[in-house]
Amino acid sequence: MTAMTGNVHPLTPVGYKQLEDSHRTRTAGGVEAPPMPSTMDDFVRSAREFLDANAELRGGGPEIEWGSGADRIAYFSADPPEVAAEKVRAARAWQRQRHEAGFGWITGPEEFGGAGLTTVHEIVYAALEAEYAVPDTGVLSVIGLGMIGPTILAHGNPETRERYLPSMYRGETIACQLFSEPGAGSDLAGVETRAERDGDTWLLNGQKVWTSIAQHADIGMALCRTDPNKPKHKGITAFLVDMKAPGVDVRPLRQMSGGAEFNEVFLSDVAVPDSHRLGAVDDGWRVALTTLMNERATVGGGHSPVADALSLPFLVGLLKANGRLQDTAARRALAELYSLQTATEYLNRQAQRRLRAGEQPGPEASVSKLMYAQNLTRCAHFAADVVGPRLVADTGAWGAFSWSELLLSVPALRILGGTEEIMKNILAERVLGLPKEPGGDSSTPFRELRRSGTGGGTA
Amino acid sequence: MTEPIGQQELDELRHGVHDFLTAKSGHDQVQRLVDTDAPYDPAVWAQMAEQLGLQGLGLPTEHGGDGYGLPELRVVLEEMGRALLPSAFLSTVVMAASALVRSGDEAAQAAHLPGIAAGKTTATFAVAEGYGSWAIEEIETTARRVDGGWAVTGEKPLVVDGATADLVLVVARTPAGPSLFAIPGETGGLTRTPLRTLDLTRKMARLVFTGAPATLVGREGGAQDVVDHVLDLTATALAAEQVGGARACLEASAAYARDRRQFGRAIGSFQAIKHKCADMFARVQLAQAAAAEAANAAAGLPDAPPLGVAAAVAHSVCSEAFMFTAAENIQVHGGIGFTWEHPAHLYYRRAKSSQLLLGGPTVYHERLLQRLGV
Repeated sequence: MTAMTGNVHPLTPVGYKQLEDSHRTRTAGGVEAPPMPSTMDDFVRSAREFLDANAELRGGGPEIEWGSGADRIAYFSADPPEVAAEKVRAARAWQRQRHEAGFGWITGPEEFGGAGLTTVHEIVYAALEAEYAVPDTGVLSVIGLGMIGPTILAHGNPETRERYLPSMYRGETIACQLFSEPGAGSDLAGVETRAERDGDTWLLNGQKVWTSIAQHADIGMALCRTDPNKPKHKGITAFLVDMKAPGVDVRPLRQMSGGAEFNEVFLSDVAVPDSHRLGAVDDGWRVALTTLMNERATVGGGHSPVADALSLPFLVGLLKANGRLQDTAARRALAELYSLQTATEYLNRQAQRRLRAGEQPGPEASVSKLMYAQNLTRCAHFAADVVGPRLVADTGAWGAFSWSELLLSVPALRILGGTEEIMKNILAERVLGLPKEPGGDSSTPFRELRRSGTGGGTA
Repeated sequence: MTEPIGQQELDELRHGVHDFLTAKSGHDQVQRLVDTDAPYDPAVWAQMAEQLGLQGLGLPTEHGGDGYGLPELRVVLEEMGRALLPSAFLSTVVMAASALVRSGDEAAQAAHLPGIAAGKTTATFAVAEGYGSWAIEEIETTARRVDGGWAVTGEKPLVVDGATADLVLVVARTPAGPSLFAIPGETGGLTRTPLRTLDLTRKMARLVFTGAPATLVGREGGAQDVVDHVLDLTATALAAEQVGGARACLEASAAYARDRRQFGRAIGSFQAIKHKCADMFARVQLAQAAAAEAANAAAGLPDAPPLGVAAAVAHSVCSEAFMFTAAENIQVHGGIGFTWEHPAHLYYRRAKSSQLLLGGPTVYHERLLQRLGV
């Protein structure tokens, strides 16, 4: 089963990426000879050499077996702070190492330390690296390198690009995304965080929410309201905020499964130099679209933390341990679950093949994400059905109460990275050509729109 | 086997078949066959062979075929399912011809495959008895030796295109076990009764054998392997047909949602309809992936999964995708979708019929677990 990469989840409930992400292929712009091998065979060979020399191949077979090992079936991390910090350190080190070998920013332009190759090279490398046991670099790559880096490249001024891009891709600067707000979830263009200009400086005030990795981040990309008299999409400006600056207050946000994977970020009179503006004043929506369009397609990427627990042998172990292996209802449910999981895997595999053959990404990624959430949800409830009352309270039995964590995590999958409802709107409108819902909010001045008060639901 | 063809050629093949079927098997033509109770249009069947070579596409080159496999046939079957083509293709080309090939019986292949490839012979494969699944232990039909040949006695209650097939391949028991026999469609000792069908575009018949003269195909007692393999191939081919049918339902719903206006707006602008269509789209994408992977598995392509598992997954996912889209298609259309004249019910009928044809959900889910060794 395929998972989102690593443990980082942009909880922006807007999923623009898969359908508009057709311009990511970049080639080297410089005049120097390419530092990387030009043919795919050479590229694969040199990537193999690097990986063989610096990492161990993953062993075959699942890492978790029924009845042994840590009794934890988790989607979100529950690492204590010191463990989390150690993982961030390892992620930075591995990013640095692969960047020095030329694989840290495969599609980036050479003048900022990139390899100047194509998205296909990047996909091929990711597939190769997935065969090796290497530190999870999600904390750096999912949002910072995957989404904000390309945004800075497209909209930053020369100073900002020079200052941040090389250090981000060397693993030194971690970036987060200050997008969602209590009153701006699916309707992201409804952000209310104010940015007011005072000479060469802007003062930011407001509240951001569902901010992944803010606790580790050095910089954050913030969407702010700069002109409430314009329609909502026209009065937004994007900034790069120093997360260590006075007035930035990062507070962990405890989610329903118990951990605190996300944060709230309060901005109180945070001073941002005008040089850290991305794009033109009031043109931040276009900048945000660049970010969202670069949201990684989740197809076939990474090694899921829950994949082993959801594997067929593990689920068969679950049935056996509960005396249900001959129960026709349980068998039927298992077969249905397995069919859907396997078909989703086939979909991802075919998408990978097409990308490798040089085709543009299709709508598979949206479908894959919808199916991933549905399958994991189905799996959690299947396990709950099998475990029965021993999920009501922790009897100490192995592989019983531990399913509660997954059960309490799966509702997030239908919300994060674009709610199911928004994803379906996009599929229906962009792929099937169905008309948009009529709405007047794209021409009305933002200040005149009726909005949810702060503290309400976001997604 | 001939080298698999590339994506561009597959697209061309798809367009060719699509154009042909748009001209020859549009809704009016399908409706006319339904209303006249004709099994299929023999002229279209002949043109499929003569103009497009579809019947021979996947058959061995030494017996008049082109030597391609399910990856190519899948494209053809998808378009047939999309157009809801009434035809003996599944029974003749997929089921019967695959049984002949799998039997390894050179003489039987030489006798029958060239005719099938040329569109001159139709055929079917009669396995199911009892509750209608392909469970070999439910087979009670027997064959006994008579001078110089065999005589088959028993009943096959649900045979696809059984009333019209020129050749019937039947699984019957001998002392050596389940065995495969060839019986001409028109022969003494075989009574064929057309049945009323749920799916008005695929005919079924009851076949009663009373000492029907038969020729052994392949090894006596060797039918289990043939049945298992043809079941996987049939599930794979049916999955492709189901994908095509599901896609037709999605296309019809999306088109109607764009055009139909209520409350002063296109109904496709309402999220209730939009989300239904998006759900249909997701199911079709998933089903197509499953069908494609199973087809690759059937051809033994290098990075394909094992056929047994892939075929069972595809049968489950595609059956449910088609049923879902066929039902939702009627709902998106509202009242007009419930009329006899509208094609929505023909897809609904085909969807449920296809889902049940090889045993139904209870059987195919258990079959998947068996293929997985669970």
